Amino acid sequence: MTNTAPSTADAHSAPGAGDFAARAHQIAKVYGRGDAQVIALDSVTVGIPRGRFTAIMGPSGSGKSTLMHCMAGLDSVDSGQVFIGDTELTGLKDKQLTRLRRDKIGFIFQAFNLVPTLTALENITLPMDIAGRKADNAWLDTVIDTVGLRPRLKHRPSELSGGQQQRVACARALASRPEIIFADEPTGNLDSRSGAEVLGFLRDSVRRMGQTIVMVTHDPSAAAYADQVLFLSDGQIVDTMTSPTAERVLERMKGFETGGRPAAPGAQEPGVAAR
Amino acid sequence: MMGKVTLRNLAAHKIRLVLTAVAVILGVAFVAGTLIFTDSMNKQFDDLFSRVGKNIAVDVRAKKVVGGDDGQSAQPVPASVLKALRGVDGVKDPQGNVNGYAAVVGRDGKIVGAGGQGPPQIGSNWNTDGSFDLKAGRAPRGPGEVIIDAGTAKKGRFSVGDTVGVVSSGAPQRMRIVGLIDTGNLMGASVTAFDTPTAQRLMLKPGYFSDIEMGSTGPSETQLRDRVAKVLPNGVEAVTGTKMRDENKSDVAQIMGFFRTFLLVFALISIFVGAFIIFNTFSMLVAQRTRELALLRAIGAARPQVTRAVIGEAVAVGFVGSTLGLAAGAGLAALLQAQMGDAGSGGLTFTATPVIWSYVVGIVVTVVSAYFPARRAAKVPPVAAMRDDVALPQRTLRIRVALGSLLTLAGAGLIAAGLAGNGGNPAVPVGAGAFAVFIGVAMLAPVISVPVVKVLGWPFARLMGAPGRLARQNALRNPRRTAATAAALMIGLALITTVNVLGATMRASVDEQVNSQFGADYLVQATGGDITADAAQRLKTVPGVESVSPTYEGTAKIAGQRGTYMSGDVAVIAKAARLKLVSGGTSIGADGLMVNESTAKDKGWHVGSTVPALFPDGRTEQLRVAGIFAKSDLIGSRIVAQQVYLRHTVRPSMDAVLVNAVKADAPTRKAIESALHAYPNLKVADQSSLKKDARKQVDGFVTFLSILLAMSVIIAAVGVVNTLALSVIERTREIGLLRAIGISRRQLRRMIRVESIVIAVFGAVLGMGIGVAFGAALQNALKSQGLSVLAVPYGTLGVYLVVAAVIGVLAALWPAWRAGRMDVLKAISTD
Repeated sequence: MTNTAPSTADAHSAPGAGDFAARAHQIAKVYGRGDAQVIALDSVTVGIPRGRFTAIMGPSGSGKSTLMHCMAGLDSVDSGQVFIGDTELTGLKDKQLTRLRRDKIGFIFQAFNLVPTLTALENITLPMDIAGRKADNAWLDTVIDTVGLRPRLKHRPSELSGGQQQRVACARALASRPEIIFADEPTGNLDSRSGAEVLGFLRDSVRRMGQTIVMVTHDPSAAAYADQVLFLSDGQIVDTMTSPTAERVLERMKGFETGGRPAAPGAQEPGVAAR
Repeated sequence: MMGKVTLRNLAAHKIRLVLTAVAVILGVAFVAGTLIFTDSMNKQFDDLFSRVGKNIAVDVRAKKVVGGDDGQSAQPVPASVLKALRGVDGVKDPQGNVNGYAAVVGRDGKIVGAGGQGPPQIGSNWNTDGSFDLKAGRAPRGPGEVIIDAGTAKKGRFSVGDTVGVVSSGAPQRMRIVGLIDTGNLMGASVTAFDTPTAQRLMLKPGYFSDIEMGSTGPSETQLRDRVAKVLPNGVEAVTGTKMRDENKSDVAQIMGFFRTFLLVFALISIFVGAFIIFNTFSMLVAQRTRELALLRAIGAARPQVTRAVIGEAVAVGFVGSTLGLAAGAGLAALLQAQMGDAGSGGLTFTATPVIWSYVVGIVVTVVSAYFPARRAAKVPPVAAMRDDVALPQRTLRIRVALGSLLTLAGAGLIAAGLAGNGGNPAVPVGAGAFAVFIGVAMLAPVISVPVVKVLGWPFARLMGAPGRLARQNALRNPRRTAATAAALMIGLALITTVNVLGATMRASVDEQVNSQFGADYLVQATGGDITADAAQRLKTVPGVESVSPTYEGTAKIAGQRGTYMSGDVAVIAKAARLKLVSGGTSIGADGLMVNESTAKDKGWHVGSTVPALFPDGRTEQLRVAGIFAKSDLIGSRIVAQQVYLRHTVRPSMDAVLVNAVKADAPTRKAIESALHAYPNLKVADQSSLKKDARKQVDGFVTFLSILLAMSVIIAAVGVVNTLALSVIERTREIGLLRAIGISRRQLRRMIRVESIVIAVFGAVLGMGIGVAFGAALQNALKSQGLSVLAVPYGTLGVYLVVAAVIGVLAALWPAWRAGRMDVLKAISTD
């Protein structure tokens, strides 16, 4: 139960620290019962550093999506605590969770990211419209220009390419300046060129605007855009890697596919979260 | 294999199909209910009429000279005929009958069992022909004794030995109840019986019978009829008992047949609306399963197989819906019977007809409605299975617009032709035309919906922010779906609006007619029985009353044309009806006739023409046209001199009494009312109460029709629920996305509610537009029949618009709840 990476131990020791945009403390999640029981998360403790681009990697069924869903307040945990900033998610009612998602979290999904009846611009401002807030026009302009969508603002999603749609989704996530953006396989449905565009854009928003982004992916070349990579296997964080390259990530992933869990998980690279 | 696919699909889409089945159930229930109810009523009447007069071999009665229902001017049979009949060989036990109006006055001074349009009050002489059994007491003897039916006794809390007031002609007579009869169930009619001389004096004329019935000692009915006919004087005929019973039955059968057709029309409307719902549901189911259907095609299913799989689902839904609908129909029939109170206590009759029709209607309508979606399902290209963004091939709206416009125009043309039609039954072309207009407008509705929904949704988008805007966009998203859903609601509201416009038009027209044509201060009318001379006499003595003038109504065939005429003091009538004379005058003498302008023009009559008139007594007289008057809705087309009427009527009876007062104010009216207190069957009216009575009648009629049409609105509301529920399922991922990025459950529910309101109000607006147009067309066609003023009840229509919005809110309750309850994670990961 205490199979924690050193980086996450730091997160645990400083629960009030402002360095993390999101934290999970010993969260566990089990699906099913009896023989069909699947441990999706096994006492995971992790901190997502503010202003950085974090990738979560792992083989299928490793629990990476579950981790993201729990940290984003889309799913509940069986035990442990989740924080977004200083707010504890666990125990919040649906209403408060919804408000939190609306105000503090941005989402980018693999597919079906946009409301088909709204134009690109309306999709971008949707979270603010729902909240009944006026968008910060200067910021909105910056975001729109950064993603390069200005000529397409009046278009419906069906009139945009997959890459453009995903850029609209990115702009929507950024427009309300959330505490943290969760991206779930954002390039999963895109060709490599559009994928690279979107990833480059996400990285830039972290570098230039100080946005915090967490991305779940199984694509090593996508993970290479991140500042650090967390490796998940069998519901546990087994490794972290800073300044990843596609080759190194691929190499690390091969270890899961052939030999399962490495002998000394996470011991090689200490202090990821404690910058 | 495809059968298995059909079954699995039914199982997988239970909720969606249940909603479809509800549309079938409601429609079928209406049909089955109508059939079972009318079957049961028919059975009751059949039983009654085969019991009444079952021993009669031959009946002797006055010949119908003028034809039709002679009503009060029917000729009685002189008592001398009875004597003659006794001498005919084979005649057994001839009995003279006296039938007429007689009612029992209750303890409150009002007539027992007379609730406005209530069942009739029948009076007769007491015969021992076995029609009714004496339940208690004994037969009546002498002028002071009466027997009444047990039902009326119970209602009035009377028993044998009590003294009651009996109204027939003139003031109520005090009579002692000497017996009670069991009438079985005469639809709640009250029955009183007297000894023969009393009955003759009260209801006919001493020495006369209404008819004479007799049994046979041996000869067959026809033999006896021929023998009897030989001794009959002129103007009197003999018919066999069988013929008489058949006539009685067929009179009722005709009424019941009309009633059944009337109800079935409304059932048909409900089913028509249901067809829209079924069509829409199957269209949506097919659209949502495009990929699965493509897969079936890709792995080798032929087009007809795919079509058959969908049709198979429709058959199953139709079958289940019909079965449940039939059961619900039986319940509905029982409910209707219970509503009829006394009249409906005979129990339900089940024949095969409702069962067969329920299944035929339910299954055929479902299959026909699902046919087009099924055909479209087969058109899904196999390659769609491989594609990500699959959509059914949609034809452009252009063909639809062209076809819809054509149908609408053709329908409007049919209606116009039907209304203008010379002869023939206008109901068929007008009904078919309305049907075509509905389908045509429904086809146009997707195009109309875009601008209208934009406008209707605007305030919501404006006031509610994102949810309002999303709702408006959702309603615009699939115009065909929005249109089909709204069209179902449109039909019901169009018809309700038509009825309301006609109602308002009738009220306005009656007001106008009464204002411009009713010139007397008061009108006294009988709710049953006669106005007798002593009542008229009594009115003359009321202080403040200036003149009292009776009017009569009779029937005559004038120059070959049968119809009613008015009679009385012509000068008074002309003044009371504010008749405008075109030519001639009102002093028409003893053989004069006045006709309206259009009759005179048709026949080429002018003042001084002589025309032959045949009266119910069988005599013909030459009448002289003495005056021609402008169109009058109150008078009709003919006025005949009072002397002529009296000459040809055995028992004159006043139709109404016109009263003029020195000063028509409340005290005068009160004085008249108290003078008439002794006559509970008489009612006094002035301009305002005439209008009020007419209004009440029209309102009752409008309410009754609206309730029948409400069924189709309920079915349409189910359609809105269906569309929304299916849309919610279809948009699961979108809803998940919205929830993920922060829309609250309340906002989500509001979004769905607004979409529902917009669709419902769109349907209502369409329907009201059509309804007002229909109403105006009918008014225009019936202008000459008295619908002179078109009135659109804007207030009522406003209320219906609000009702439509409320229907929208209610229809959204369940789909919105479902959407709000949706698990965000599952929603976004649904494939």
